[in-house]
Amino acid sequence: MTSREPEIKNHIRRLRFDHGEMTQDQLAKQAGVTRHTIMALEAGKYFPSLLLAFRIARVFGAPIEQVFEYRAAESNL
Amino acid sequence: MSDSEKWGWWTLGVVALTIAAYVAFVAFLGHGPATSSVFALLALTAIPASSRRYFKGRTFDERERQIAHRAGAAGFSVFWLAFVGVILAIYFIKGWNATLTVPVWALDETLWWAASLVMGVQALTTIVLHRGVPHD
Repeated sequence: MTSREPEIKNHIRRLRFDHGEMTQDQLAKQAGVTRHTIMALEAGKYFPSLLLAFRIARVFGAPIEQVFEYRAAESNL
Repeated sequence: MSDSEKWGWWTLGVVALTIAAYVAFVAFLGHGPATSSVFALLALTAIPASSRRYFKGRTFDERERQIAHRAGAAGFSVFWLAFVGVILAIYFIKGWNATLTVPVWALDETLWWAASLVMGVQALTTIVLHRGVPHD
């Protein structure tokens, strides 16, 4: 039994600003999703599929672990 | 607000309007005419599919698809529970060997209520699952 759910954090908001203040709309178009999905990702309300995670990482030209960070629950690595 | 959310609010509004109109009309017209006329309002739920100005079409990326699947499952789960509940209620009230004679309007009305229930729950679930994401 886990003490709390594992969480996937992301650094999309920071990476957008690091990439010439890219807008959510621009990122959404390049990743092939709606802007609302980018908003949900940044708000931590939605965890993307592996495919979308790779697409977003590719937009930023970064490895996936620089965009998404897995924080395992204390008793569940 | 995404097109999916707009669809949810629109559908929920149409279902609420239909129920309100039904309650108002039944008092004056009786069940048969009220059922035939009022439930035609449910056709308004088709507007999002045809209005290009206000609804550009529901855009389904992976998140929207997930929400639509969950909303569909919720709608049919509630329908199934209601269906089983009504069948069991008839068994217990009328008995297992009873013969029922129902007017045609009752059959019509049952189908319309089922459609309203499924659409209403789908719309409500869609709205709830979009909750928490900042709007435009």
